[in-house]
Amino acid sequence: MANFRRFRPDDLNKLSKCNLDPLTETYELGFYLQYYAKWPSLFQVAEDQDGNIIGYIMGKLESSPDVYKFSEHYLPWHAHITAVTVAPEARRLGIGKMLTEQLEAAGDAGNAWFVDLFVRKTNYKAIKFYESMGYSIFRVVKDYYGEHSTDPTQDSEDAYDMRKPLKRDVKKEHIREDGEKHEVDPTDVW
Amino acid sequence: MSSYAYGPPPLRNSVDMQLQSAFSDRNWSSVIRLAAKRFATFKDPYYEAIKICAESQLDGTPEKCAAIVAIDELVQSKKTPDLDTLELYEYACRDFLGYEVEYADGLGPLRARWVKANATSPLAVNCLQTCLEHWDLVSAQHIATTLDKTFANSSDRRFMFWSITLTFLLSISPQCTDASRKIYSMLAVRQLEKAADLTENSEKLEKTDRGLLSEEEVCLYYRVLLHHGTKEEFTSRIQSPKLGAIGQLKQGRKLLFCEALDALEKWGEWDQIYNLCREALTLGLEGTTTPFLVCDLRIWKKFASAASKATDTDAALSEVRNVLNKFIQLKDKANPMYKKNISLALLDTTFRLPSTDLNPNNDQSGLTPRVAQIGLYLDQYYERLAAFDDVKGYVAELSFEEVKTLLDDVLPKISGESPEKKSQIIIKAMESKLRYFLTTCPQTLSPSAATGEGKRKPFKCLFCSQPASLPCETCLKKIIADAAETYSQISADKELLAAIPELDRDPRLDLALAIGTSLLKLSGLRPYGSDATRSLWEDIKPSLLFQAVLLLDAQLKITPNDNGLRLLLVQLYLLLGCASYAHQLWVPMGVKRTIQDALSPLFFDRISTISPGLFHGTRPLMEPLQTYYSYTLRDPSPIRIWDAFSAGSYTSILDMNDYDKKLRTSCTLMMTLVEERRATRCFGGKIDFDIDDHPLTADIFDDTVLLNKTDYGSFTNLESVYSPPIQEYLRLGPGLSNERSHLSYLSEKYLDLLTYKPPQPYKPSKPTDAAARDRAYTIEVLSHVSETLTTLVQSQSSLPITPAEHTYYSILSLLSSAVLICLSTPRTNPSPPKTLSLLTSSIKSAAGTLRSGFNATSTEKVIASLTELHSTALARDTGIAIKLSAGFVLTWNDNENARDRSGRSALHREAIAEMKALEAAGVKVVGDVKAHFGKMKEGLGESGWLDRILEVTFPEGEEDEDFARAVQKIVGGGEEEEWAAKIADSWRDVVKGWVGVNW
Repeated sequence: MANFRRFRPDDLNKLSKCNLDPLTETYELGFYLQYYAKWPSLFQVAEDQDGNIIGYIMGKLESSPDVYKFSEHYLPWHAHITAVTVAPEARRLGIGKMLTEQLEAAGDAGNAWFVDLFVRKTNYKAIKFYESMGYSIFRVVKDYYGEHSTDPTQDSEDAYDMRKPLKRDVKKEHIREDGEKHEVDPTDVW
Repeated sequence: MSSYAYGPPPLRNSVDMQLQSAFSDRNWSSVIRLAAKRFATFKDPYYEAIKICAESQLDGTPEKCAAIVAIDELVQSKKTPDLDTLELYEYACRDFLGYEVEYADGLGPLRARWVKANATSPLAVNCLQTCLEHWDLVSAQHIATTLDKTFANSSDRRFMFWSITLTFLLSISPQCTDASRKIYSMLAVRQLEKAADLTENSEKLEKTDRGLLSEEEVCLYYRVLLHHGTKEEFTSRIQSPKLGAIGQLKQGRKLLFCEALDALEKWGEWDQIYNLCREALTLGLEGTTTPFLVCDLRIWKKFASAASKATDTDAALSEVRNVLNKFIQLKDKANPMYKKNISLALLDTTFRLPSTDLNPNNDQSGLTPRVAQIGLYLDQYYERLAAFDDVKGYVAELSFEEVKTLLDDVLPKISGESPEKKSQIIIKAMESKLRYFLTTCPQTLSPSAATGEGKRKPFKCLFCSQPASLPCETCLKKIIADAAETYSQISADKELLAAIPELDRDPRLDLALAIGTSLLKLSGLRPYGSDATRSLWEDIKPSLLFQAVLLLDAQLKITPNDNGLRLLLVQLYLLLGCASYAHQLWVPMGVKRTIQDALSPLFFDRISTISPGLFHGTRPLMEPLQTYYSYTLRDPSPIRIWDAFSAGSYTSILDMNDYDKKLRTSCTLMMTLVEERRATRCFGGKIDFDIDDHPLTADIFDDTVLLNKTDYGSFTNLESVYSPPIQEYLRLGPGLSNERSHLSYLSEKYLDLLTYKPPQPYKPSKPTDAAARDRAYTIEVLSHVSETLTTLVQSQSSLPITPAEHTYYSILSLLSSAVLICLSTPRTNPSPPKTLSLLTSSIKSAAGTLRSGFNATSTEKVIASLTELHSTALARDTGIAIKLSAGFVLTWNDNENARDRSGRSALHREAIAEMKALEAAGVKVVGDVKAHFGKMKEGLGESGWLDRILEVTFPEGEEDEDFARAVQKIVGGGEEEEWAAKIADSWRDVVKGWVGVNW
């Protein structure tokens, strides 16, 4: 039912199965193409037999800008998952896991220290999924999201910055066990 | 974009503070004065450039154009320009770029010239970037070649590949002259061939070697080869040990393998496809690559297809099964997705086997290996959301005996094996969908003619033995009855209702879709195009259509997140004229930003002809679409293209260029402009640009092929390949197309000409000359519009447009020809050509036909009129176009008489008389449409509409009362009235909008 391959721009005309789902954000064209331009091998899709996109992952390999080199929040060379989504009809088949593993492999190939991602603090399902794949909370980014996904009385929501160490991090220096106790401001995240 | 997007470029540090601060304060008069002084003192032309740049900020046209003149002089001089000066000039003429000034004619070549003289400067790359941002490929290619030559032995490999990529891009671009195209294409191929040979013949490549190292470099080579090389070159290289698809796959690079398979399939090279697939899959089994790297369904399908086309099919298919069996042994270690792919591959392979292998004993029982394999697959995956879509293509290939066995034996067996009620219900829902699906498959009909029903039902249905055609009405009725019973069974069972949230999909949704689509088919709804002159209301049984809508609407309340159902309802409500309610259903889907190009036509196509009132909301209806295109296409280059260059993503560059071209020629883009303009015109609003001058139509010419990329992927489609997809039944007319987009574009050009108003203060110094130029221009535009419209309207026997659109565009074509004759016939001629009277009588006759189409004197007729809003709107547009055309000629004549009292410039009397008659005809059409909407408003203002709608939905004494009862049972009592109220309110909204338009 699914084929895995690198994203190509024409896929943007076949995103409806994923992006009409309310949990999937749709970005401006430049955002998708920025990833395709800079990190094409980290933008992977799963398609069904009619060419509809039923899952995709967008990621990047980078470090914080050099100007922050001596900041405690400086992020060394790492892979980042910007978006991962699977269409409702293709869930429970491990597609999200496979796409994530592909990005982790690309991170290893790129000699990254770890993979990180942001997830809403109340997105328990996603947090559980990432934990099952070896991710742990590294820090809490206060008020990272401009609106709350479940509580309309709140005008912001915290994010968990979750990480998984890659092969390069032999001593597991880039993860921590008490990440939930480490709170930072969105301005500390680059 | 270039730095000047953020303000003027910084001046050189050597410039004194006084001038620096005047420049940064944009105190242009001081800058001009100071720069002139400095130039006089230092004789440095840079100060002259500052002065010119400052002058360009003033209002006078000569000053504004000074920079253009200076650039031209620099180009002519052949001298190497100064880069700081170029930056100033680029800023100075930024507003002219792309319009009066082509970057490629001046600034681009000057930058290329500068780079040639300063190739080692770090600013050379900036020049390349700037040329790319202006999409001046000629200059960019020159710069890239210079950089490549300068840094030929550098470890930065990008210079070499920038040069090759740009040479290739130029060779496929309209910017390349025909004479140079071949040279550039050969150059790109030869450079890459050389690099490929070096790679093949070297033990190990260093970064400084000019071979192919990265996956991007290798794939660029194949892309170029595919475009400019021969099939033999491609197929030979793709097998090479290092740079071949398998060689690359061994390094974990899958992209080339996938692209090679597509290319080979296009050429029908099935032997090579077979070998590549076998080798690639075997690599996984051997452990050379990860086991499931290429274990995609498309690879298996290609493998099996190629085997079925091999000379020794048996041996080839046996090898496919052999490889597949090895993967089946690994299945336990595989991810669920790959397990599923392997199961589907097994199913697919079974269907590729020769019929003698499948049924060697010619067993008529129907339990063939194909049916057994579908059964095995469904047994594993029936609970999955995609199970039906996974098997439907295979079911369509089964014989009737096989289908019967599947439904009568296999599915009940799967159901019987599960003790759980929920599983049994899921299988029942699957059965309903399959039964519906099969009503669209020809193998369910016997070729022997049945008696009694004549031509309408020339076959006998093998399921029910009744006279039938596709779809069999008797079977559809049975599907409705069975599905409704199952639906009610679920609704009455608390245990089942409690289990639904745990399921992939609510089985009631599948049942509702089976019932709803069956009702739609029974109502007589047909795909658009099968009967081009139809009136929806005359052709269908309204009660069944309304019942389907009611049922599906009620289902949406239960499963609001199902977008397939929501899209279906949006289309249905648009068909019924309930545009405001359709909009309410559309909005929650959140179609925004990038996905608008593919999805917006599902709501917005023809929307101005249904409900111009929708454009009068709190936020302009088309604004998100307009903003998307304006923002995304504001630069001449593909968005983010420099990112791809700087990252060395060469295939991304090619794909982004291709995507950009498609986006600039999108049918949705044209739809966006035209719908907005039509609605604006309806309310007498101001249209900002002539459509031809709109920045978004800059890349659209008469011969441009406009592309329809509408995404129907989310529609729930229960139809087989033998039947048109469901959206074809629901649309107001044929979908977007190149032809329709061009017709709408031309019609807008014509209306722009008719409605052009010169700026008030415009008083030419030589009125006679100006009038002659105006006349020449108008005649030129009219000739073009008239000729192109006529060619398009007459180009095909069946254009993909509605009859109302056909009438509209045909009349516009006649009108433009008539106006052209009026304007180009000198008054001194004895009479205008006879063609004029022929044209005007055709127009008047068509106008007369339009007038006879309005009737809203009873409830039924009001509802019927609401389903014909599109035709009515086009009738109004036609009437207005007639009025405008005639008015244009008459005003022209009045102006000429006022300007030239001798009367010699005036138009021919007979032409004037014809136009006056036309104007009257146009006024009558518009008046009739206005009165028609008035009657509709009056009718809808009467009380009792809820009852009327329900009477139409559930008429008493109809033969199909069973359906009505089934639908009512599912929907529940109170829902019906609420639904009828929504329909009535939406109709009132829509008609209110129409009554408010300008007449």
